[in-house]
Amino acid sequence: MNKLISAWGMNAEIQWVIFIIFCILVTSSIAWFILVRVKPSKLATELQVRTRSWWVMCACFIVTTLVHPVVTLLGLMYLSYALLREMYPLLNLDARERNVVLVCYAAVPIQYGLAYFGMKTLFLAFIPVFMFVFIPFMLVVRGETKGIVRSISLMPYSLIAWVYGMSHLALLFQLPELQGFTAGPQGLLLYLIFLVGMNDVLQFAWGKTLGKRPVLPTVSPNKTWEGLIGGVLSITLIAVAMRFLTPLNIWQAAITGFVTAVAGFMGDAIASGIKRDIGIKNSGHAIPGHGGYLDRLDGFSAAAAPFFHLIYLFCYH
Amino acid sequence: MKKSEKREANTSGHLPVAASWRRRTMLIFLYKFFWRAILGVVIGLRYLGVKKEQHDGPVIYIANHNSHLDAIAMMTVVPRHRLHLTHSVAAQDFFGNSFFRKWSMENLVNAVLISRKRGDQEVDPIEFLDGLLQAGRSLILFPEGTRGVPGSMGDFKRGVGHLASRHPGIPVIPIYLDGLYRNLPKGRAMIVPFGGNLIMGDPLVFSNEDLNEITARTQEAIEKMAQDLSDSNQI
Repeated sequence: MNKLISAWGMNAEIQWVIFIIFCILVTSSIAWFILVRVKPSKLATELQVRTRSWWVMCACFIVTTLVHPVVTLLGLMYLSYALLREMYPLLNLDARERNVVLVCYAAVPIQYGLAYFGMKTLFLAFIPVFMFVFIPFMLVVRGETKGIVRSISLMPYSLIAWVYGMSHLALLFQLPELQGFTAGPQGLLLYLIFLVGMNDVLQFAWGKTLGKRPVLPTVSPNKTWEGLIGGVLSITLIAVAMRFLTPLNIWQAAITGFVTAVAGFMGDAIASGIKRDIGIKNSGHAIPGHGGYLDRLDGFSAAAAPFFHLIYLFCYH
Repeated sequence: MKKSEKREANTSGHLPVAASWRRRTMLIFLYKFFWRAILGVVIGLRYLGVKKEQHDGPVIYIANHNSHLDAIAMMTVVPRHRLHLTHSVAAQDFFGNSFFRKWSMENLVNAVLISRKRGDQEVDPIEFLDGLLQAGRSLILFPEGTRGVPGSMGDFKRGVGHLASRHPGIPVIPIYLDGLYRNLPKGRAMIVPFGGNLIMGDPLVFSNEDLNEITARTQEAIEKMAQDLSDSNQI
């Protein structure tokens, strides 16, 4: 068995994090199973559905992370693509803007390709510099200027929000090896997934149990100060406890956890604002109990770039 | 079963002949693998409420119609062994006027072409579809009769009512297609992925309702599915 695991390139740290995720999922599955039997309620059933979806999501994340770096990259690329695809129908684009949407889709493989080939400066400049000129130009070229300001702002923004941030996780695989750090980019990726996932869960849990004062009443009434503070503090502690996946020391891990949790909350709040403006609750039906890709990955894609830059600053600078 | 089908086909002269194994394999590959993958992975169509166990026999599938992708998406939810026995009903005046369109509709989509105007053909379209149901074939119908205005549903024509009232045992399965028109709108040739939902409702079984009532109930069923979908996503 040990031989098999080492042939898969799984080291002790990654085995530990998989074990921890497995324990959390089993515990919550059993807890909701009992809760539904003992005290059936809408919330209990929803929690059960959500936990079932977490099982699937965790399995997908862990498998794509561990199989091969190229598979990880393709998986992240597909997530970016799915996020864009879920965002565009909400924007009420007109028939002519369809072609520009194709340009936005085409930017996804280019951005991830730059990450794969390690072209770091072009990677950092491609979307915020080049696509921010090219997409507005393509919008102008089609000859229709009515409502163009809206499209000029929205379409490049969608690339920043769902492609640029996420693609930093593919760049983790380009970081040079550190001495004494064995978990590797897979470990860092699982660390971030774990932190952001737990951030969503814990903010929800703290908010449901203690939440009274809404933090953004007009945007998202379910987010409370209690949930936010409880979530951020717990994630800071979890980040310190799980730092065996990273090359960070205690203080660096605490800062990374804190920033990840706050950035995750920010991404969540931005997505809530967008959805509220459009007048929908969820952006899609891809993940039962959670909504669409956008509902689940909003925090993740907002936290990805800050996470990458903190790791880079602390360990590689 | 097979013999009677053949005899039926020969007497009327219009029914499509029973599919060869080659054609069956091609249809299964095309709809259960190729289009299923394109729709699921690239376009991001979500299948909601699709039942694995469907009535084993002739069925009438009905849906709202906004895009050419509609018939393709409907074919992907037909059970594998019924695929070659399921015909989407397409307009002669649109698909019949070029050889390529006609050939691809009849061979790749497994469609039958009917005239939208009465009195054009020697056989009444309803009689023709009636014959298909009698021969054990399933039908995919778009009761609006046209792709219409993007994203909105027109009134249903009474063809479904005619067919369902003549065949009381045959279930009518309502399907609501949400958002497919964005992927391939009317008048466009290129598919741009924008996602969408395919929702399959519970089969409607009619006993002896008259055709107006059947038409109204089928339209109601699809409108209710559309309403439920948008209600479930209100803030």
